[in-house]
Amino acid sequence: MLGKGEAPAPREPEEEEEDTGGFVKLISAEGFEFIVDKKAAMVSNTLRNMLTSPGGFSETRQGEVRFPEIATHVLEKICQYFYWSLHYSSGKESAEFQIEPEITLELMMAANYLDT
Amino acid sequence: MYIRVKRNKSTYFIQCEPTETPLSIKQKLHSIIDQPPSNQQLVLLATNDVLEDSKTLAEQKVENDSIVGLALRKGIVLTY
Repeated sequence: MLGKGEAPAPREPEEEEEDTGGFVKLISAEGFEFIVDKKAAMVSNTLRNMLTSPGGFSETRQGEVRFPEIATHVLEKICQYFYWSLHYSSGKESAEFQIEPEITLELMMAANYLDT
Repeated sequence: MYIRVKRNKSTYFIQCEPTETPLSIKQKLHSIIDQPPSNQQLVLLATNDVLEDSKTLAEQKVENDSIVGLALRKGIVLTY
């Protein structure tokens, strides 16, 4: 979505990885969970770094990443984008990725954070 | 394509093909959640139709990005 975002503001490591057979659980501010393929989550450079960095973060082992600052409807759109991106980058065909104008600002801020 | 399978506060993004059946979706869910396919019921939320294992997703109007509700059978001892 966006180009190179700067590194996110320093905060607790939120990264993670999963032991759960190639899936990652992303948790929104309201506590809703989105279980996506790890491959899809890696569309986000931030998540990729979280999932591949050595050192065994606790989130990495549990396969959960919490996003206390990303609202549910934004996180869902992000997950949809992950899969859209996977499909689009793997083939020649393209399709519109619909973004409701109301969430554009929040989505851009989240995309910047996720470096997506 | 993918579908979004929702239950309570959880959403599972499941990759699949229109030619697959709901049974294969349930088997994929089985690898994520601890419930065998026989205890799962999928409902296409756009129409409130219960998905039948004998038909393909395409035949039941399940498309890319569709939202499918998941119900689980409870109250019995699971042995498998």
